[in-house]
Amino acid sequence: MGMYRKIKCILSHTRNHTIPYFYKSVFYKRCTYAILFPTFLCIFLFTNTLAPCAEYKYTIYFYNPETNINNFASLKKEFDLYLSRFGGYQFQPFSEREIFEKLISEKKDGIFIISSWHYKQLRENISIEPILVAVSKNKSTCRRIFSTSRIINDISMLSGMNVASASSEDYTKNVLIQMFGENKGAVASSIKILSVPKEIDALMSVGFGMADAAVTTDSSLAKLSAINRKLHDTLKQLLISNETLLPIVAVPKPQDENHKKLAKIIKDMEAAVEGKNKLSMLGFDGWKILNASEKEYLEKQ
Amino acid sequence: MTNYKNNLINNIPILAAILRKQSRKRTSLAFFFILFSFLSGYTNTSYPDTTENVLIINSDISIKNYSLAHTGFKTVIPNPKGEINLGNKWKEKSETEKIIRESGPAIIYCIGIKAYLFAQEVTNDATVIFSSIINWRRLTIKENTYGISSELLPSMQLTMYRYLFPKTNKIGVLYSKEYNEEWMQQAREDAKDIGISLVGIPINKKTNITSALKKLLKNVDAIWLTSDPVVLSKTDAVSNIFQQCNAANIPVFTYSEAFIDAGATLVISADIPTTGKQAARLTLDLLSRQEKIEKINTPAGSHISINLKKVAENKLMLNAEALDSVNQIIQ
Repeated sequence: MGMYRKIKCILSHTRNHTIPYFYKSVFYKRCTYAILFPTFLCIFLFTNTLAPCAEYKYTIYFYNPETNINNFASLKKEFDLYLSRFGGYQFQPFSEREIFEKLISEKKDGIFIISSWHYKQLRENISIEPILVAVSKNKSTCRRIFSTSRIINDISMLSGMNVASASSEDYTKNVLIQMFGENKGAVASSIKILSVPKEIDALMSVGFGMADAAVTTDSSLAKLSAINRKLHDTLKQLLISNETLLPIVAVPKPQDENHKKLAKIIKDMEAAVEGKNKLSMLGFDGWKILNASEKEYLEKQ
Repeated sequence: MTNYKNNLINNIPILAAILRKQSRKRTSLAFFFILFSFLSGYTNTSYPDTTENVLIINSDISIKNYSLAHTGFKTVIPNPKGEINLGNKWKEKSETEKIIRESGPAIIYCIGIKAYLFAQEVTNDATVIFSSIINWRRLTIKENTYGISSELLPSMQLTMYRYLFPKTNKIGVLYSKEYNEEWMQQAREDAKDIGISLVGIPINKKTNITSALKKLLKNVDAIWLTSDPVVLSKTDAVSNIFQQCNAANIPVFTYSEAFIDAGATLVISADIPTTGKQAARLTLDLLSRQEKIEKINTPAGSHISINLKKVAENKLMLNAEALDSVNQIIQ
């Protein structure tokens, strides 16, 4: 009996309300073969066709000790949403340095957004290549500034101060040692770091008396000046660090086609309004390809 | 002997035996798990190699904000002398009291009001530091009491408003003269410094909030809902405020995430892990007998939640650059 006749037969049975038991069982059996089986087959084929799209291909791994980013849930949600339009890419932020470092040494299925300071520490042991650098207000560099509301005549007066910073303690101490000079290491290590979520918090906590000083970027001070001039003017910019590169994008060596595709997606983010907004969440306006001097800076000790 | 409902299993003796064994294993595991949870839930006291003579009392560690403060504190002081979670059994206090007396901490860090009241009751000589207590001014502050308040300074909040919404110039506030007259005066001056005009309408218990708000809404770009006890005296009053603001398409800026679902556009609150860290710093300062220690410190970190859907509805101009300061985005 052909499929068409089978269905016709089943339907004719269903129209007849007095179905004997024998016919009922035949009816269920035929239903299984004629309706359910093709349905399951369709579902199976459909899910298998979609499966490659649903599967995550490559990941952007993010860790930045220069900022105390703690909005991981929002970051992941927003970036995943943006990346989903290009296929199965995903974003994975990290708060623990050790976990990130373990991952970066093992994973080849993604690219990394890391601070230039961190890259310099990692490059000896891990085979990754920097390709892009972040840009903010058309600049790919920044300086850290030590601001205080106190009158300081000598660096030793900073000893034991409470210093607010939105960077990790490691990174802030490193910046302080560089600012104070190697021979003032004891002063730098006596400083008590108060980690706050944002640079603007660090500056406000000095202005409003919750901390003695703050270490922030020059751009955050400029922002404060635009928002609250009076508060900005109460802060004295005591020390300035050397110029450092903003965070970079690095890829594992050797690169494959997926690394290149994902790097292009990141590079092009600033061209779309949505992409630009996502970058704002990291504190950047866009990315640029590293030039020779920037590469040289990254390879220097 | 256990008989399984599925007869087929009973017919295969090896399978039935394995399942019985697994079930016994699971039962004993569950027993130990319950026992462990019970013990750790009541007095989660550990005495590792102590670096600081500090005891943490947490009102209830299962509450997210209390747990965050606890973790924040331990990032600075990882090995306190002991940790007590009062949980929901704080009234059975004799054993906990004994533990506190035996450990004789120099400083007790209390997270939440329950922990604070408990500490005040069982100890007289230890220095107490509190955090995660709403409106600390209602507490009796003894000579050896210190704390981190839960409320951000108005100037911090106003600076953030200006940063996020640079075109929002007129902000309205309902406040009670009884509780917040001084606060309002200070906030007005702070607002002036950053080019915001703060329009306030004083209210009292007899004032009709609906008509006061109606008057205010005609004249402002946003409403700042503060923790004024008269304004927030009834649940109905709060939902009415949001309904009126929503109808007038005026955004509500406020201080607690509890108002997100009610329709707040922006919430700026204290960052809880930072308050824990501040409490730990205060502890270290007290232990090192530093001079000039502030008794009550203001939170140094902020936590920002923004509802982008409401931002669009309210036609607010959001400074996209400020998004790196936002902790939670609601779409």
